[in-house]
Order: sequence, then structure tokens, then C-alpha cells
Amino acid sequence: MARYLTRRLLLMVPTLLAVAVIIFVLVRVIPGDIVELRLVSGGSFVTKSVIEAERARLGLNKPIWRQFVDWMSGLPRLDLGRSMWTAAPIIQEIALRFQLSLQLAIMSTLIAVAIALPLGIAAAVRRGTWVDYGVQVISVAGLATPSFWLGILLLLALLSYFHWLPPLTFTPLWVSPKANLLQLIWPALAVGYRYSAVTTRMTRSAMLEVLQEDYVRTAWAKGLAQRVIVVRHALRNALMPVVTVIGLEFAFLIGGLVVTEQVFNLNGIGKLFVDAIARRDYTMIQGLLLLVATVYIVVNFLIEALYVWLDPRVSYG
Amino acid sequence: MHGSQAPGGRPEVRLAAVLLTGLLVWLLSAPLSAQQPRTGGTLTFIVSAEPPSFDAHREATFALIHPARPHYNLLVKFDPLSYPKVVPDLAESWTISPDGTTYTFKIRRGVRFHDGSVLTSRDIKASYEKIIFPKGDVVSVRAAAYTMVGSVEAPDPATVVFRLKWKSPSFLQNVASPWNWIYNADILERDPHWYERNIMGTGPFKFVEYVRGSHWVGARNEDYWVKGRPYLDGYRAVFIGNAAAQVNAVKSGQALVEFRGFSPPQRDDIVRALGSGATVQESGWLCNNTVVFNSKRKPFDDARFRKALSLAIDRWGGSTALSQIAIVGPVGGLMRPEGPFATPQADLEKLAGYGHDITAARAEAKKLLAEAGVPEGFEFNLLNRNVEMPYRYVAVFLIDQWRQIGLKVNHVVKETGPYLADERAGNFDAAVDFNCDFYDDPDLQLVKFLSVEMPNGAVNALNYGGYIDRTLDRLYDEQSKSEDATRRMTLVRQFEKRLLDDKVWQIYVLWWKRIIPHSSKLHGYKVGPSHYLEDLQDVWISE
Repeated sequence: MARYLTRRLLLMVPTLLAVAVIIFVLVRVIPGDIVELRLVSGGSFVTKSVIEAERARLGLNKPIWRQFVDWMSGLPRLDLGRSMWTAAPIIQEIALRFQLSLQLAIMSTLIAVAIALPLGIAAAVRRGTWVDYGVQVISVAGLATPSFWLGILLLLALLSYFHWLPPLTFTPLWVSPKANLLQLIWPALAVGYRYSAVTTRMTRSAMLEVLQEDYVRTAWAKGLAQRVIVVRHALRNALMPVVTVIGLEFAFLIGGLVVTEQVFNLNGIGKLFVDAIARRDYTMIQGLLLLVATVYIVVNFLIEALYVWLDPRVSYG
Repeated sequence: MHGSQAPGGRPEVRLAAVLLTGLLVWLLSAPLSAQQPRTGGTLTFIVSAEPPSFDAHREATFALIHPARPHYNLLVKFDPLSYPKVVPDLAESWTISPDGTTYTFKIRRGVRFHDGSVLTSRDIKASYEKIIFPKGDVVSVRAAAYTMVGSVEAPDPATVVFRLKWKSPSFLQNVASPWNWIYNADILERDPHWYERNIMGTGPFKFVEYVRGSHWVGARNEDYWVKGRPYLDGYRAVFIGNAAAQVNAVKSGQALVEFRGFSPPQRDDIVRALGSGATVQESGWLCNNTVVFNSKRKPFDDARFRKALSLAIDRWGGSTALSQIAIVGPVGGLMRPEGPFATPQADLEKLAGYGHDITAARAEAKKLLAEAGVPEGFEFNLLNRNVEMPYRYVAVFLIDQWRQIGLKVNHVVKETGPYLADERAGNFDAAVDFNCDFYDDPDLQLVKFLSVEMPNGAVNALNYGGYIDRTLDRLYDEQSKSEDATRRMTLVRQFEKRLLDDKVWQIYVLWWKRIIPHSSKLHGYKVGPSHYLEDLQDVWISE
């Protein structure tokens, strides 16, 4: 097991390397030019020589391979370079937003799990009853409702009924838990609801499958309490696909809440992503894509590690 | 007993007179005292975009002006309450030589930078040399606007002299440019890029913090050289890109204003929510939408076709309709309607597409299309950027207008990056473009219409149409150096007729309108025709 995990860890390096190459090439293919966007899009009269000088300053006049080598040489030192738009270190720019995105992803996950597990289990155990149908209505509604739309409704309700809106700017949890939660609880609810819908359906179907297993029937025949059968025997075995869904959704939330972040004016990774693409901030896009790829790889690794704990029969030997 | 009676009558009458006078004084002064500026409070306002760097000499976005301008002063500035009057800022006075080529500015004494160092003429000279004569890899996007300047001198600590190569009628207004922030000469000498990442000026507010993607904070400069200013304790600029979130922030009272402007429906939404707590200020805007034609493609290389496209547009009807839903409205020629160079109505109506008889204009347009050999149902693409307000509204309007003379137009909407790349590469038929400035000045506003290859060999990077018109180049040059105001106006009108009526290289659609709905708590602010001229020095809030 340890050998397998070590091998998986080592495999991350070539995977990330391949990702880095693909990212670098893809980003350069996008039409548009950061220098023109910055100097000309405002309508200013700028001479061609000024544009060329700025391009040289950003290193965009160098051959592509040279730009790639420059970028890659910083990666081992976790130096992603500087943003071409703001000139700030990319690590700094990402770190600033990462804490918000990470906290939002964690809060949404907690909300989703808190909703999904009980509902999914209840629907499976009470299959074909009004409980099951009720849960299915709730989860289908969640799947059909985009998070940002629910977010807009939440904001309108807060504004209309309470003449109040969440704080406009982010306060770290350790600075003011109240201000922090007052801002993030609303997007977490909006995102968590959709997230819970996916997880509820997965929990229900996984539980249904496990509940039909022979060992569960045996447990019933032995006269074990329902709580023991469901929680100790069935749930643990049903959790593997659920954990996979939760993990992938979690990784998605780190950079994927583009519209929800816009609606709630959250200074997260998704907003940074959109801004970077709109500005053709090549170095920033590269850094962000690499971050998202890393998150996915790490989450996948953790999921695989979790499989072993959930099901001791799983062996990666 | 007979006593002497004081002048003014009996004591009770005098008492009544005094009381009455006191009452009158109180009644008259009450409304005035209610408008007395109040010191204190923090102004929270919205900025809809973020600054790339902190150096105004190299940037061209209001997203830098709005949060960071309060940290700086200019040499002279536009009076925020009385545009386009130029008033002193760091210069307490100035003189112009009789031949108009030497401007001598006397600098205020006792002005200190936020780090405590004293401002002198050396700082002004260093700042302007960075703008006009950038060295090495320093980028100044406005160097081309000061080609008339031969040198900047600082003969003594309180005097700055600009020597011009030729008389420039709008030089003083150019010096009042909101981008010409005065930096510290010592810092510039050590590192000319320092101001790209740092803030340090002489302005009414000191820099506190900037959290990228979130907010920018300024605090009152207690040692500010204008006594009693600023009124505010500080300000907080919150970056909100989403339009609905901006409106919500104003409606909820979390922000008092957004200084760039809202659309009419957004204004109405805010007014409905805030009721008497909202104040709406509106003004013409020194911005407009144009359409640039690719003169290297057929049939756009034919002036008759281009003129037909302009004739087909019902600008007056469009103004009435679009101004209800978008930030456009005023019909005008090359220079802003209501501005000092505005086209007189009689002249305007003579230009192609500006008459009130749209039926006759469209008949003429169809005739021109036939002459140019453009068949009924001819199809072309209208390139546009993916900016909702007002670009998309303007484009939809244009497509409908051109449909009415039998043309089929496809709306090609692209993100700003690819949009600019297509314009630059000439990869378009016609494109919705725009023009925005800080001052009604032909030098600033006509420059983008000059030939793509200018007589001095320079390339006009803003001429996306790809045409060469030496008449326009000559007229521009003449007006720029004209010493006689009337003559200059005549030259501008000739330029306008050549561009919009004879050659129709580009056309103007509608000018923009600034709509600023804000909290009634905000005072000392007057909307002007440019969103680059915001100044918080005299702004205050009532609670």
C-alpha cells in the first residue's frame, strides 16, 4: 500500500509536467494580445513603438521555446512568475484568493454532505415511499437549479425582505468569524444545495445496491437493529462512489464557481480565472490551470487513499 | 418723568424687531447650514474594473483613476464643479508668453509628499519628463499627446517652464490631464518603475491598502496643503464587476455611488429602492460609438457604399428610443454635443445621415447602393466587442437600420481580446468602435481618424480602417497649430465634413450619456462629461 501511494505521488510529477506543457501551448493559441488589451482597449492613441516596447518588457518578443523554458525553470522553486497584467507574483495573487475559494468549497461540501447523506440514506431505506419521492423531488430540483440563479434569488430575498446584503469584501475567518460567515454562508448554501443534489442521488443508488447484498440480508436475519445495519454495514460499503463524487465536486469548486463568485462579488479563484483569460494574462492563466490540475491530482490521490480505509479488501499492491 | 427715547422706538418694539430679525436670520440660514460640508465619515464607492498597475502615466483606464487619483495632485486641473474651467492645483498661478510657446507655472510652497518630503519644481519636471520623454523601458501612453513640447525646465524650486515647439491652443487643458499625476523626483531617479507598484503623492488621501480583486482604501492626509480638506476621513473603493451586484450594493446602501455610471433601467431600479434617499445626476459624456469600415475590402472601399450606410441610420429616432434603455442619447458630430466644439445644429443636419427626413435619406442611400453596384440583400459582418452596455444595443440598432435599405448584417460578437486582434489585423467588414476622452479637444479626439501611415512615417495604431487621407492629416495639423479660435473651429468643421460626409471613412452613431444615481448622503460631487475627472477633495457625506 505504502509503495503504491509513493508511486502515485511520484507519478504526479510527470503528470503535472505534461499538464504544464499542454497548458503553455493552449494558452498561447488563444487569440488576443495582453499589450493591446492593456494599452489600446481604452481608446488611447498609442504608437506602435510603445506597444512593441511593452511587449519586449513582458518578454513576449522572445521565442516561444525561450518563454517556456523561463516559465518551467521557476516551477521547481514554486515560482510561477509574475502576472503580466499586475506584475505581482502569481503565487501571491493566487494565495490571496485561494483561502476564500478553499473555505467556500469546504463549507459547501459540509452543507452538501449534511443534506445528502441523511436524505440519500432515507430515500434508499424507504424506497418507493413518500420519503423517497420527496427526496427525489428535492434532488432533481437541486440538479435543475444553477447555483448562481439560486444565489441571485437569495440576494434578492435578503435585499427585499431585510434590506440587507452580505458584506462586500472578504474578512478571514480568524479576523472576524461573524463577518466571514455572514459573507460566505449564502454562496455556500447556493452551491451546497446543487452539490447535495448530486451527492444525494449517488448516496441513494449506492445504498440501494448495498442494501440488496446478501450480507445485509443476513444482518437483517440476525435481528440487528436497523441503525446498525444501515450505518455500520451498508453505509460504509456504499460510500466509495459517494466519496468519489464528493472529491471531484470539491476539486471543481476550487476554480469552477465563476458565475456564483460574480453574483456574490467574491474575490475567488474563479473570478481571477475569468479576469486572467479576458486580459490574456498568460502567466496567470498558466499558474491557475496548474493549480486546478494539482488540486484534481491531489484530490484523486486522497480519494484512492480513502478507498483503502473504506474497504480493506481494496489492495493496490 | 420724561426720559429720553433711544433711537428705534419703544423698548418692546425694539425687542420685537430684534426677535423678528433673529427669526429671519435663522430661517434664512437654516437651509444653508444644512448644506454646510460635514467633516468625517468614510465614502464607499464602486469601481467596476481593476487597475493593471498604479502608474497613471502608463495606464488608460478609469479603474486606476477612481481609486488612486485621490492620492495625487496635478499641476493644474479641471474645476470639478465647473468643467471645462482650468484651475490651479500644485501650480498656484501661471503665465503664457505673448507668442504662446512658453508656459511658466509658479509652484505652491509648503506642499509635502505623504512621506514628508517637500514638493519642488524638480518633482514636476521629473514627472512630466517621464510622461513626455520616457527613457529606456518606461512606457508612457501619452507621449504622443505632447509632441509640441520641446523642453521642461525647473529654473528654481518654485518655477516650472514648458517650452513649446509651436503654439498649441489646448496645451493648458492637456496639462490638466487627469493622468498627469505628480511623482517624487528622487524616487523616479532611483527607480522609474517604482510608481507602477507603489503609491506616494501629495494628494488629499494617503494610501492604506489595496487587496487585489476586493478593495482599495485611502485615509485623510492630515497635512494636506488645502486647509480644511478633505472632508472625508477616508474612502473605500470596492471592486465589483457584475452590474447586478453593483446596483444591489447601491440599493442596499453598502456603497453610495459608482462614478462611471448606470443605464436608465438600473437608475430607475436604484431610485425605486432608495426613494428620496437617491439623487440622480446626468450629463453628456465625452464618449461615443463609431463604426469603422474596412477600407481595404470591397465594397467598403467605395465612399458611396459607406455614405449609404450612414444615410440609412435614423439617429434622431434612435436617440429617442435607445436613451430609454441604454447609456446613449445625444446626436452629434465629431465633437461632443454641448461641448465647446459642438457642431451647430444647422451644420449637423447637412451631414450624411443627420437629417430629420429619414425616408428621403434612405431613398438616397438605396440610390447610392445601386450606383456602387451593391445588390439588394448584400450580406456583411458587423464586428462587436462582448460589452453589453452600450455596444450590443448600438449594434442591434444599426443592424435594423441597415436592414431597412435591404442589407443583411451579421452581428459578430467577440471578447475584447479577439475583437481588438481582428480590428488590428483588418479581419472585419465593419466594426463598432468607440472614443472616450477627458476633454473636448480636437487634438485628442480627432487623432484616431488620421491616416494609418502618417506623413512623419509613424503608424496610427488606432486607424483600423486602414485608409490614408492626407487632407485629414493636413486639416488636423492646421487646427492643432491654429492660433485663431474661429479659424480652428472652421478647420474642425472641414475635418468633420471630410470624414463624415465626403469620404465617410468612419461614422458616428450616438454619443453617450452619463447617469449617476447615488445616495443623497453624497455631497460636493457634480457629474461632469468625463468619468476620468473624478476628484474626492471636496466631496463629503451627510452622515
